[in-house]
Amino acid sequence: MPAISLEKFIKKGASPVLIEIINAMDTSITIQDADYRILLGDDDQRLLGGYPVELSGQVIGWVSGGDKAPSVASLLTYLAGKELEKKTLGRETLDKYKEINLLYNISERIAASLELKEVARLIIEVARRSIKASNASVMLINEETERLEIIAAFGKENDEKTILMTGDGIAGTILLSGNAEIINDVLSDPRYIEGANNVKSMICAPLKTKDRSIGVLNMSSNEPVFYTAADLKLLTTLASQAASAIENAILHKKKLKEERIKSNLERYVASQIVDIIMEAKGDISLDSEMKNIAILFSDIRNFTATCESLAPKEIVGYLNEYFTQMVDVIFTHEGTVNKFVGDMIVALFGAPAHLSNNERQAVQAAIEMQKRINSTPDSWIREHFNTGIGINSGEVVVGNIGSPQHMDYTAIGDEVNIASRLQAIAKGGQILVSRNVFDTTKEFFKFNSMGKVKVKGKKRSIEPFEVLY
Amino acid sequence: MVQKVLIVDDETHIRALLEQTLEELEEDYDVEILSASDGREGLSLIQKERPQVVFLDIMMPEMNGYEVCQKVKGSPEFDETNVILLTAKGQEVDREQGIMCGALKYMTKPFDPDEVLMIAKELLGLDE
Repeated sequence: MPAISLEKFIKKGASPVLIEIINAMDTSITIQDADYRILLGDDDQRLLGGYPVELSGQVIGWVSGGDKAPSVASLLTYLAGKELEKKTLGRETLDKYKEINLLYNISERIAASLELKEVARLIIEVARRSIKASNASVMLINEETERLEIIAAFGKENDEKTILMTGDGIAGTILLSGNAEIINDVLSDPRYIEGANNVKSMICAPLKTKDRSIGVLNMSSNEPVFYTAADLKLLTTLASQAASAIENAILHKKKLKEERIKSNLERYVASQIVDIIMEAKGDISLDSEMKNIAILFSDIRNFTATCESLAPKEIVGYLNEYFTQMVDVIFTHEGTVNKFVGDMIVALFGAPAHLSNNERQAVQAAIEMQKRINSTPDSWIREHFNTGIGINSGEVVVGNIGSPQHMDYTAIGDEVNIASRLQAIAKGGQILVSRNVFDTTKEFFKFNSMGKVKVKGKKRSIEPFEVLY
Repeated sequence: MVQKVLIVDDETHIRALLEQTLEELEEDYDVEILSASDGREGLSLIQKERPQVVFLDIMMPEMNGYEVCQKVKGSPEFDETNVILLTAKGQEVDREQGIMCGALKYMTKPFDPDEVLMIAKELLGLDE
């Protein structure tokens, strides 16, 4: 409750009216404060006692001087009471105004931030300005562990590394119930889990988005505080603003993560396939599965001998230029670069994203790869890199294969081995495909049959067709 | 010496809010809060009372805040008077015009009471 100083009250507003009334009474009146200091009247008449001026049961001054003194004391008591009422109302109005201003500002400030911790920190900063607390925290559910973790905090909460299970403690139960609560006597609440933080009173609101609670906004005091319904209302409003801003920040973080993944994926897969992978909801799996795909192997003939005279740095330079050109062609035809083994490239068409024309894309890519080498601006590459390409298609196992520490998305199966064999027998500049590839693409390309050929490690012979381009 | 803060605003509730915001200056320090409800009255109080700080609204009858500010800050005898424009006009052009008139600061409504109090304390040399 605001205090009234009789001295300031008389000096500020009441003095001219009082003097007028006292003059009209035609009597000598002295007004003194509670300590008998003279505020109005004759300085020589300092007296002990008189008629009290009271405010909320307390004496704030004395009036003395003749039979009119009791009436002046009553009038002053009445006016001081009115002044107190005015002040109380004024303070309440100012508090409300501060609250509105706070909410007005917070929306602008948190909307401008997409950083999760920054949003949480801002909410705490704003809440502290209106709600008395020695500690405050924003806790969010970690979706992986399903535990409540502190994102931003102030006071002793800052030191606390306690992580709550959802449903545990006061904050944990408020998260589940979705209802904000005031707990003015924390110690008598059976849900309270005693920690390093010596909390006496607390107020806590869930951070609710459309259909679920994503965390809680907690404020507590180490001294007993009587939190009011108005505090709860304000905290709930802040929590609701915080929840949507935090959700935005989380979405933004996810988006950034997706972009990072996308940018990493784009090093291996054509960007259009990356888009398909990113947008697919369960349709594209990296788990092992049988898939009908085309497999392309490409290798530089006599690479070791060709590069013998070069320094390792030069070899890497030429190889990088060569791979850059080849990967570009493969991506243009929606292929996936499976791996580089030395100077060899393995590419898949139809995995992980499905293609309707695996073989045709693979053959078209192979033709362009050969042409690209022949037209590359680097004369050394043009003259020395002669590649043989082999393509086969059929059902293979594709997926993430490896140990938990290291996995590769790759293809395994006999059809992969055949593609590798075809590449092995292809001469520099040649593209050899299997009968399967020939059968599905013969209307689009020209081929030259090479008859049946026995290859290393295969009981049955294979039937290569040379692509004429 | 009593320091003085003047509030000039034609809206009663804004004056009351500002008075309430600055009330603790009167209670805790030797500061007097004065108020005026239009530009002309504001200017005459500035000339008579010589306040150290003036919170001045812009859109007011009789004489607007820019005119009051220009008259005060255009005269060297009011060097000690700091004018803070407090207004709903939040455009950059308004802000520029305010500063051109010699205002020390330009605050937009709804004002932040804590900021108003902090500025007043700072200008009166009362900041802790």
